[in-house]
Amino acid sequence: MEPLIIPATNSTPQIHFDASLGKLVVKGQSYPENAFKFYEPVLAWTNDYLQHLQEQAVVTMELELPYINTSSTKCLMMLLEKFEAAHCAGKPVKVEWICNMDNESEYECAEEFQEDLTLPFEIIEKNSDV
Amino acid sequence: MIHENLWQVRNELQRNGILISFTGKLTQELIEEYGAAVKQYLESVNVPRNNVFQTFSIFIEQTQNIKNYCSSKSGTPIYDEIAQSCIVTIGNMDDKPYVCSGNLVEKSDAAGLEERLSPLITMDKEGLKQLYKTVLKQDVPPDANGSGLGLIDIARKASRPLEYSITEIDPRFSFFTLKAVV
Repeated sequence: MEPLIIPATNSTPQIHFDASLGKLVVKGQSYPENAFKFYEPVLAWTNDYLQHLQEQAVVTMELELPYINTSSTKCLMMLLEKFEAAHCAGKPVKVEWICNMDNESEYECAEEFQEDLTLPFEIIEKNSDV
Repeated sequence: MIHENLWQVRNELQRNGILISFTGKLTQELIEEYGAAVKQYLESVNVPRNNVFQTFSIFIEQTQNIKNYCSSKSGTPIYDEIAQSCIVTIGNMDDKPYVCSGNLVEKSDAAGLEERLSPLITMDKEGLKQLYKTVLKQDVPPDANGSGLGLIDIARKASRPLEYSITEIDPRFSFFTLKAVV
């Protein structure tokens, strides 16, 4: 499967989804003009990938989102729900959310997603000022 | 003309603690530029980091809300008047940053706004969190240009209940304002 790579802009995160590595990275601020349009190919790729997932190796969604607006949060919810469904179907998936603990809203956002999902979900402290 | 008024304008801004203010049509590019400037400015005047993040976040939600409202009128004869009517201010009052914005709304839209805002004002933080989570999990209607979460998120990030006003301007329009104190 072709990797999905979208470079970051001021208002959209970098997307680096690589099937061969089993790693799906979303990294950067997210507040595009139209979040649904931006995340549409991201959701489609993930759908396709999870549906055909055979491997036994763990698939990791790595998130680092210093700022995320509400419509992007909605899209992220849709993305994580796909992961949650895969988990419930017995597929080896997990979430790693890298967080700057000094930023209350960033941590709170990660924590609230964690509260509502049952898949393995780890909040990892970002090394300060890196 | 402006030379004579500028001192008064400046005094009025200062009296309200307004640090940054702009008026006119909002675009995504302007929102990004202003957003970065707001962040930098608040950092330079030693606003605590968490308050800077909160202010930035409220600023983005408010401006994108307004922009989405304007877009919903695109192609109608009143689009320009509404789009040009936007004003966004970021200020500091009693050591608390705030974001206060205003724009013209079609009179028929005022009731709907009020209906969405007034429950948020009486809810406590826990109530707002639950509402946020409920709306987050709802399916988005296909014609929606937002998630319906913006106002709830602003209310959650504000340290006091939101303040708003709707003032009749003429038979077609009301002027809507929203203030969130960080």
